[in-house]
Amino acid sequence: MKKFTNLLSKEIRELITLQLVISLLFTLVLFYFMGALAKSEMKKAAAVQKISVFDLDQSEISKGLLASLKMTNFQVDAIKEQDKEAAVQTAGKGDTNLLLVIPKGFGESVAKFEPEEIETYTFLRSFSLGSIRKSEILKAIITATNNYLSNDFLKKKVPDVNPENIKNPIKSKDFVIVKGRMAEGSAAAISGFVYGQSIFVPIILMMIIIYSSQMVISAIAMEKQNKTLETLLTVPINRTTIVTTKMVAAGLVGLISAAIYMFGFKSYMGGFMSNVRTTSDITKVIQKLGLALNTNGYIVLGISLFFAILCALAMATILGVLAEDFRSAQALIMPIIFLVLIPYFLSFFSDIKTLSTPVKILVWAIPFSHPFLATQNILLGDYSAVLYGILYMALLFLILVVAAARIFSTDRVLTMKLRWGKKKIVL
Amino acid sequence: MDIVLQVEGLKKSYGTLEALKGIDFQVHQGEIFALIGPNGAGKTTTLRIVSTLLTPSGGKVTFLGHDLKKHPEKFREQISYLPEEAGAYRNLKGTKYLRFMANFYANTAGETEEFLKRAAGIADLGNRLDEKVGTYSKGMVRKLLLARALMTRPAMAILDEPTSGLDVINSLEVREIIKKFAREGISVLLSSHNMLEIEFLSDRVALIDKGVILDFGTSRELKEKYQAANLEVVFRSALR
Repeated sequence: MKKFTNLLSKEIRELITLQLVISLLFTLVLFYFMGALAKSEMKKAAAVQKISVFDLDQSEISKGLLASLKMTNFQVDAIKEQDKEAAVQTAGKGDTNLLLVIPKGFGESVAKFEPEEIETYTFLRSFSLGSIRKSEILKAIITATNNYLSNDFLKKKVPDVNPENIKNPIKSKDFVIVKGRMAEGSAAAISGFVYGQSIFVPIILMMIIIYSSQMVISAIAMEKQNKTLETLLTVPINRTTIVTTKMVAAGLVGLISAAIYMFGFKSYMGGFMSNVRTTSDITKVIQKLGLALNTNGYIVLGISLFFAILCALAMATILGVLAEDFRSAQALIMPIIFLVLIPYFLSFFSDIKTLSTPVKILVWAIPFSHPFLATQNILLGDYSAVLYGILYMALLFLILVVAAARIFSTDRVLTMKLRWGKKKIVL
Repeated sequence: MDIVLQVEGLKKSYGTLEALKGIDFQVHQGEIFALIGPNGAGKTTTLRIVSTLLTPSGGKVTFLGHDLKKHPEKFREQISYLPEEAGAYRNLKGTKYLRFMANFYANTAGETEEFLKRAAGIADLGNRLDEKVGTYSKGMVRKLLLARALMTRPAMAILDEPTSGLDVINSLEVREIIKKFAREGISVLLSSHNMLEIEFLSDRVALIDKGVILDFGTSRELKEKYQAANLEVVFRSALR
């Protein structure tokens, strides 16, 4: 145990370099700054918005439209100019980003069902999310006004009937059934909510796997490059312990790095999500459908993630042996990245269960697919699929560790190299 | 003198290439045994096998009665290997590196301190031991590594080109240190291109070429046998 801790502390010291600390701090600061910026932009977009209005009509209807703008958090700035061109110029010079032009005769035309076009002008002074949102809000207001005017008209003509019943004679009530539980709600909204809640799992996993694998490969490559491996292999310590300490150290540092990265990422995303309010309705539906992760779910998901990381570390150890130096180690991470990216994108864009059998087998053979699918399977109550995945990863990990330990116990640790020029393994 | 290392019919192949074609030699306690030969003769391969880095393709290697194939861990407990192009962890300070290595061999904290004290004496780097290895010159790294190899007083030190990268003064000091440790009972198996060094250091010499030992004996015996003034001429004559 003393030898293990001695080696482990050396491995950790070697991995936590000044460059790593600086790059992690930089990432953290960058994400925090971007998150804060996004938050302030979103706040600005949600705050009282200025809108310039050039009302040539001055009718009751146009006044009603302006009143509805004021009610929806707009500060209306009336422009008094001779013509439209001058109004556009005046609005453009000011600090407003929106201009609404209501033509003469607008109210009269609406009353006759011959709607005159109102014109909206958006001054794009930047391409931030806030700018895009402003014009979208304006469009929503016009739609709401249209609705108001048509409802008003229908009420006058058919006072005993709800105008909505005339406009939408067919009503629908949506129900969603999951695991035999039923709740009223939109499938799209529920899927979107679950997706939003579990989006972090594949990102965290991808980050940890790539960080840790890169560290193991680099650690072995650096031992070779700095000519320290030969000495280390002749000290009285089991070769399996050497392999294990490298994996444990990289796993720990990778986990810390990923946690720091995710903390930064969360604060970045928090900036965008700061104004998104989750309605209590959808939360109730989610709870009714049992789509929230419980303690058991989190434990099983954690085990799945853990074994995926172990498999990645074992693979990285074997790949690290092929590296001649630190430079060649950078390229050797590619096979692991590919194996992570395939299930990563598949989990986002397709349902693996609907793929053809050969593709399904291929996806399941990739150990990293299992934790990517685990969240969905746990939420859908398919624990057996998750447990089979864990068993598969545990078995694969054992095979890989035995293979890595055997490589470290033989000449191969010194003689096995991947030569890019000749593209063959020389033993 | 007791035999510490017994090498019998040692063979090593890399694919179709035969690096060692069945060599035999013995190293006694407190003896400095040197392998000399041209590049690719099989010197480093022999040292790497004895230090458990490579597995032999044939033959038998016994160290203090332990068979290499069956008990490589017994070798590792009592040998110390200094590779020709060895390095140390650049991010560690000299003392930290020595402590890290000492911890693999010491059974008590007191023993670790004893190893470190001895290492500091061998390395003779003064306060530079408290600086990171990355700041050391090649010669300083070599002295640190030699200190690492000898601080535990192994039963046998395996030294591949021990003075590689050192200047004349440092080389002389290192040779004296190796001699001193051998006099105290440590066996040394070394290889070198430097014939003067071999002549000064070794008790016995093996001339090796193309994986075969051509001849061996003391420097004096070999010089007499080949009627040569020095080992360089001996080696050239043996090759013919």
